[in-house]
Amino acid sequence: MNTVLSRANSLFAFSLSVMAALTFGCFITTAFKDRSVPVDIHVSKVMIKNVDDFTGPRERSDLGFVTFDISANILLIEKIATPIFDWNVKELFLYLTAEYTTKSNALNQVVLWDKIVLRGDNTKLNLRDVKSKYFFFDDGNGLRANKNITLTLSWNVVPNAGILPLVMGSGHKSLAFPETYETAKSY
Amino acid sequence: MLSAFKSIPTHMDYKGQKLAEQIFQGIILVSAVIGFIYGFSIQQFGWTVYIMLAGFTISCLLTLPPWPVFRKNPLNWQPAVPETSGENRDKPQESQKKKKHK
Repeated sequence: MNTVLSRANSLFAFSLSVMAALTFGCFITTAFKDRSVPVDIHVSKVMIKNVDDFTGPRERSDLGFVTFDISANILLIEKIATPIFDWNVKELFLYLTAEYTTKSNALNQVVLWDKIVLRGDNTKLNLRDVKSKYFFFDDGNGLRANKNITLTLSWNVVPNAGILPLVMGSGHKSLAFPETYETAKSY
Repeated sequence: MLSAFKSIPTHMDYKGQKLAEQIFQGIILVSAVIGFIYGFSIQQFGWTVYIMLAGFTISCLLTLPPWPVFRKNPLNWQPAVPETSGENRDKPQESQKKKKHK
Protein backbone atom coordinates (compact mmCIF):
# COMPACT_ATOMS: atom_id res chain seq x y z
CA MET A 1 0.00 0.00 0.00
CA ASN A 2 3.01 2.19 -0.33
CA THR A 3 2.53 3.27 -3.94
CA VAL A 4 -0.51 4.53 -5.82
CA LEU A 5 -0.63 1.39 -7.94
CA SER A 6 -0.78 -0.99 -5.01
CA ARG A 7 -3.49 1.07 -3.33
CA ALA A 8 -5.43 1.19 -6.60
CA ASN A 9 -5.05 -2.56 -6.99
CA SER A 10 -6.31 -3.23 -3.48
CA LEU A 11 -9.25 -0.84 -3.88
CA PHE A 12 -10.32 -2.24 -7.25
CA ALA A 13 -10.15 -5.87 -6.09
CA PHE A 14 -12.21 -5.05 -3.00
CA SER A 15 -14.84 -3.25 -5.09
CA LEU A 16 -15.14 -6.20 -7.44
CA SER A 17 -15.60 -8.64 -4.58
CA VAL A 18 -18.31 -6.46 -3.04
CA MET A 19 -19.99 -6.14 -6.46
CA ALA A 20 -20.00 -9.93 -6.81
CA ALA A 21 -21.63 -10.24 -3.39
CA LEU A 22 -24.30 -7.68 -4.39
CA THR A 23 -25.04 -9.58 -7.59
CA PHE A 24 -25.45 -12.78 -5.60
CA GLY A 25 -27.81 -10.92 -3.27
CA CYS A 26 -29.82 -9.74 -6.28
CA PHE A 27 -30.09 -13.36 -7.47
CA ILE A 28 -31.13 -14.67 -4.04
CA THR A 29 -33.96 -12.17 -3.65
CA THR A 30 -35.65 -13.34 -6.86
CA ALA A 31 -34.64 -16.99 -7.18
CA PHE A 32 -37.67 -18.56 -5.50
CA LYS A 33 -40.41 -16.46 -6.99
CA ASP A 34 -43.43 -18.10 -8.59
CA ARG A 35 -43.75 -16.57 -12.03
CA SER A 36 -46.86 -18.13 -13.60
CA VAL A 37 -49.43 -15.77 -15.12
CA PRO A 38 -52.97 -16.49 -16.39
CA VAL A 39 -53.08 -16.45 -20.18
CA ASP A 40 -56.08 -16.42 -22.48
CA ILE A 41 -55.63 -18.08 -25.89
CA HIS A 42 -58.35 -18.11 -28.50
CA VAL A 43 -58.08 -19.76 -31.91
CA SER A 44 -59.95 -18.32 -34.86
CA LYS A 45 -59.12 -20.55 -37.82
CA VAL A 46 -57.50 -23.93 -38.45
CA MET A 47 -56.58 -25.61 -41.75
CA ILE A 48 -54.42 -28.52 -42.90
CA LYS A 49 -52.58 -29.28 -46.08
CA ASN A 50 -50.66 -32.37 -47.08
CA VAL A 51 -47.37 -31.37 -48.68
CA ASP A 52 -43.83 -32.60 -49.26
CA ASP A 53 -41.64 -31.97 -46.26
CA PHE A 54 -38.17 -31.45 -47.75
CA THR A 55 -36.43 -31.61 -44.39
CA GLY A 56 -37.75 -35.05 -43.52
CA PRO A 57 -38.42 -38.40 -45.18
CA ARG A 58 -39.73 -38.51 -48.70
CA GLU A 59 -43.44 -39.11 -48.00
CA ARG A 60 -45.89 -36.27 -47.81
CA SER A 61 -46.52 -34.89 -44.30
CA ASP A 62 -49.28 -32.85 -42.76
CA LEU A 63 -48.81 -29.10 -42.55
CA GLY A 64 -51.12 -27.22 -40.22
CA PHE A 65 -52.14 -23.56 -40.33
CA VAL A 66 -53.46 -22.00 -37.14
CA THR A 67 -54.63 -18.41 -36.66
CA PHE A 68 -54.99 -17.39 -33.04
CA ASP A 69 -55.48 -14.55 -30.55
CA ILE A 70 -53.54 -14.19 -27.33
CA SER A 71 -54.32 -11.88 -24.45
CA ALA A 72 -52.29 -11.88 -21.25
CA ASN A 73 -51.37 -9.25 -18.79
CA ILE A 74 -47.93 -10.44 -17.82
CA LEU A 75 -47.25 -7.44 -15.66
CA LEU A 76 -49.12 -8.92 -12.75
CA ILE A 77 -48.48 -12.36 -11.35
CA GLU A 78 -51.32 -14.44 -9.93
CA LYS A 79 -50.65 -14.70 -6.25
CA ILE A 80 -47.98 -12.08 -5.62
CA ALA A 81 -48.38 -8.41 -6.43
CA THR A 82 -44.82 -7.82 -7.68
CA PRO A 83 -44.34 -7.06 -11.38
CA ILE A 84 -42.79 -9.63 -13.70
CA PHE A 85 -40.00 -7.18 -14.62
CA ASP A 86 -38.28 -7.17 -11.25
CA TRP A 87 -34.70 -6.00 -10.85
CA ASN A 88 -33.26 -9.32 -11.93
CA VAL A 89 -35.09 -9.59 -15.30
CA LYS A 90 -33.43 -8.39 -18.46
CA GLU A 91 -35.95 -9.63 -21.06
CA LEU A 92 -38.63 -12.27 -21.62
CA PHE A 93 -38.72 -14.77 -24.46
CA LEU A 94 -42.31 -15.91 -25.13
CA TYR A 95 -43.28 -18.85 -27.27
CA LEU A 96 -46.48 -20.65 -28.18
CA THR A 97 -46.28 -24.48 -28.22
CA ALA A 98 -48.65 -27.00 -29.73
CA GLU A 99 -48.63 -30.37 -28.01
CA TYR A 100 -50.40 -33.48 -29.29
CA THR A 101 -50.27 -37.29 -29.62
CA THR A 102 -50.27 -39.30 -32.82
CA LYS A 103 -50.26 -42.99 -33.70
CA SER A 104 -46.55 -42.99 -34.48
CA ASN A 105 -45.30 -40.72 -31.67
CA ALA A 106 -46.53 -40.48 -28.10
CA LEU A 107 -45.61 -36.83 -27.57
CA ASN A 108 -45.10 -34.10 -30.14
CA GLN A 109 -44.30 -30.49 -29.28
CA VAL A 110 -44.03 -27.84 -31.98
CA VAL A 111 -43.23 -24.16 -31.45
CA LEU A 112 -45.55 -22.06 -33.58
CA TRP A 113 -44.71 -18.49 -32.68
CA ASP A 114 -42.34 -16.53 -30.45
CA LYS A 115 -41.67 -12.98 -29.33
CA ILE A 116 -39.00 -11.15 -27.38
CA VAL A 117 -40.24 -8.66 -24.79
CA LEU A 118 -37.47 -6.30 -23.68
CA ARG A 119 -37.35 -4.41 -20.41
CA GLY A 120 -39.40 -1.27 -20.87
CA ASP A 121 -41.71 -2.69 -23.54
CA ASN A 122 -45.44 -2.86 -23.02
CA THR A 123 -46.27 -5.97 -21.04
CA LYS A 124 -49.96 -6.28 -21.84
CA LEU A 125 -50.20 -8.74 -24.67
CA ASN A 126 -53.30 -8.24 -26.77
CA LEU A 127 -52.68 -9.86 -30.13
CA ARG A 128 -55.50 -10.57 -32.57
CA ASP A 129 -55.53 -12.79 -35.68
CA VAL A 130 -51.88 -13.75 -35.52
CA LYS A 131 -50.64 -16.34 -38.00
CA SER A 132 -48.06 -18.85 -36.89
CA LYS A 133 -44.44 -17.84 -37.51
CA TYR A 134 -43.00 -21.30 -38.03
CA PHE A 135 -44.19 -24.27 -40.05
CA PHE A 136 -46.41 -26.67 -38.19
CA PHE A 137 -45.14 -29.86 -39.83
CA ASP A 138 -46.06 -33.21 -38.44
CA ASP A 139 -43.78 -36.23 -38.59
CA GLY A 140 -46.10 -38.19 -40.84
CA ASN A 141 -49.83 -37.75 -41.23
CA GLY A 142 -51.00 -37.41 -37.65
CA LEU A 143 -52.71 -34.00 -37.80
CA ARG A 144 -55.72 -34.96 -39.85
CA ALA A 145 -58.77 -35.51 -37.66
CA ASN A 146 -56.66 -35.14 -34.55
CA LYS A 147 -59.12 -34.37 -31.80
CA ASN A 148 -56.87 -32.90 -29.16
CA ILE A 149 -54.14 -30.36 -29.86
CA THR A 150 -53.19 -28.24 -26.85
CA LEU A 151 -51.76 -24.75 -27.28
CA THR A 152 -49.85 -23.25 -24.35
CA LEU A 153 -47.92 -20.01 -23.99
CA SER A 154 -44.61 -20.37 -22.11
CA TRP A 155 -41.76 -18.04 -21.55
CA ASN A 156 -38.12 -17.94 -20.62
CA VAL A 157 -37.08 -15.26 -18.16
CA VAL A 158 -33.60 -13.96 -19.03
CA PRO A 159 -32.15 -12.68 -15.73
CA ASN A 160 -29.36 -10.28 -14.88
CA ALA A 161 -27.80 -12.86 -12.58
CA GLY A 162 -28.55 -16.51 -11.97
CA ILE A 163 -30.53 -19.31 -13.60
CA LEU A 164 -33.04 -18.89 -16.44
CA PRO A 165 -36.45 -20.12 -15.30
CA LEU A 166 -38.87 -21.63 -17.79
CA VAL A 167 -42.45 -20.73 -16.91
CA MET A 168 -45.72 -22.01 -18.33
CA GLY A 169 -48.72 -19.75 -18.55
CA SER A 170 -51.67 -21.09 -16.63
CA GLY A 171 -54.21 -21.07 -19.48
CA HIS A 172 -54.26 -23.42 -22.43
CA LYS A 173 -56.54 -24.11 -25.36
CA SER A 174 -57.44 -27.44 -26.87
CA LEU A 175 -58.59 -27.64 -30.44
CA ALA A 176 -59.33 -30.26 -33.07
CA PHE A 177 -58.11 -30.32 -36.63
CA PRO A 178 -60.52 -30.86 -39.54
CA GLU A 179 -61.11 -34.27 -41.10
CA THR A 180 -60.09 -33.40 -44.66
CA TYR A 181 -57.33 -31.45 -46.26
CA GLU A 182 -57.61 -27.90 -47.58
CA THR A 183 -60.87 -27.13 -45.77
CA ALA A 184 -60.70 -24.39 -43.14
CA LYS A 185 -62.47 -24.84 -39.80
CA SER A 186 -63.48 -21.67 -37.99
CA TYR A 187 -64.00 -21.35 -34.26
CA MET B 1 7.44 11.99 -19.31
CA LEU B 2 7.29 8.68 -17.46
CA SER B 3 10.25 9.76 -15.31
CA ALA B 4 8.23 12.84 -14.27
CA PHE B 5 5.43 10.56 -13.08
CA LYS B 6 7.81 8.22 -11.28
CA SER B 7 9.47 11.08 -9.43
CA ILE B 8 6.22 12.22 -7.71
CA PRO B 9 6.35 10.87 -4.16
CA THR B 10 3.35 8.68 -3.36
CA HIS B 11 4.40 6.97 -0.17
CA MET B 12 2.39 6.87 3.05
CA ASP B 13 3.61 5.74 6.43
CA TYR B 14 2.25 2.58 8.01
CA LYS B 15 -0.43 4.15 10.14
CA GLY B 16 -1.49 6.16 7.11
CA GLN B 17 -1.78 3.00 5.03
CA LYS B 18 -3.95 1.39 7.69
CA LEU B 19 -6.14 4.49 7.82
CA ALA B 20 -6.43 4.59 4.02
CA GLU B 21 -7.46 0.93 3.89
CA GLN B 22 -10.09 1.44 6.59
CA ILE B 23 -11.42 4.51 4.77
CA PHE B 24 -11.88 2.86 1.41
CA GLN B 25 -13.30 -0.36 2.83
CA GLY B 26 -15.80 1.63 4.86
CA ILE B 27 -16.87 3.79 1.93
CA ILE B 28 -17.29 0.85 -0.44
CA LEU B 29 -19.31 -1.16 2.09
CA VAL B 30 -21.57 1.78 2.93
CA SER B 31 -22.21 2.54 -0.75
CA ALA B 32 -22.88 -1.17 -1.36
CA VAL B 33 -25.55 -1.26 1.37
CA ILE B 34 -27.14 1.99 0.17
CA GLY B 35 -27.06 0.78 -3.43
CA PHE B 36 -28.61 -2.57 -2.59
CA ILE B 37 -31.47 -1.03 -0.63
CA TYR B 38 -32.16 1.66 -3.23
CA GLY B 39 -31.97 -0.78 -6.16
CA PHE B 40 -34.30 -3.19 -4.41
CA SER B 41 -36.83 -0.48 -3.64
CA ILE B 42 -37.05 0.80 -7.23
CA GLN B 43 -36.48 -2.69 -8.72
CA GLN B 44 -33.66 -1.65 -11.04
CA PHE B 45 -30.25 -3.25 -10.62
CA GLY B 46 -28.64 -0.51 -12.74
CA TRP B 47 -28.92 1.98 -9.88
CA THR B 48 -27.13 -0.38 -7.50
CA VAL B 49 -24.18 -0.45 -9.89
CA TYR B 50 -24.23 3.35 -10.29
CA ILE B 51 -24.16 3.91 -6.54
CA MET B 52 -21.29 1.43 -6.19
CA LEU B 53 -19.36 3.27 -8.91
CA ALA B 54 -19.94 6.58 -7.10
CA GLY B 55 -18.58 5.03 -3.90
CA PHE B 56 -15.59 3.72 -5.82
CA THR B 57 -14.83 7.18 -7.24
CA ILE B 58 -15.11 8.87 -3.84
CA SER B 59 -12.76 6.37 -2.23
CA CYS B 60 -10.32 6.74 -5.15
CA LEU B 61 -10.18 10.48 -4.54
CA LEU B 62 -9.79 10.06 -0.80
CA THR B 63 -7.19 7.30 -0.64
CA LEU B 64 -5.12 7.21 -3.81
CA PRO B 65 -3.31 10.56 -3.55
CA PRO B 66 -0.96 10.75 -0.54
CA TRP B 67 -2.78 13.38 1.48
CA PRO B 68 -0.89 14.85 4.46
CA VAL B 69 -3.22 13.10 6.92
CA PHE B 70 -1.61 9.82 5.83
CA ARG B 71 1.88 11.06 6.61
CA LYS B 72 1.38 12.07 10.24
CA ASN B 73 3.57 9.27 11.68
CA PRO B 74 6.75 9.11 9.63
CA LEU B 75 9.30 6.36 10.23
CA ASN B 76 12.34 7.09 12.34
CA TRP B 77 15.24 6.19 10.06
CA GLN B 78 18.67 5.74 11.59
CA PRO B 79 21.24 8.43 10.69
CA ALA B 80 23.33 7.58 7.60
CA VAL B 81 26.58 5.72 8.20
CA PRO B 82 29.69 7.59 6.92
CA GLU B 83 30.84 6.34 3.50
CA THR B 84 34.33 4.82 3.96
CA SER B 85 33.36 1.86 6.17
CA GLY B 86 30.30 1.29 3.92
CA GLU B 87 32.54 0.74 0.82
CA ASN B 88 34.71 -1.81 2.63
CA ARG B 89 31.65 -3.85 3.47
CA ASP B 90 30.23 -3.67 -0.07
CA LYS B 91 33.29 -4.90 -2.05
CA PRO B 92 33.72 -8.43 -0.59
CA GLN B 93 29.93 -8.93 -0.93
CA GLU B 94 30.03 -8.00 -4.63
CA SER B 95 32.87 -10.41 -5.39
CA GLN B 96 31.04 -13.19 -3.58
CA LYS B 97 27.97 -12.52 -5.73
CA LYS B 98 30.01 -12.74 -8.95
CA LYS B 99 31.36 -16.13 -7.94
CA LYS B 100 27.87 -17.49 -7.36
CA HIS B 101 26.76 -16.46 -10.87
CA LYS B 102 29.49 -18.63 -12.47
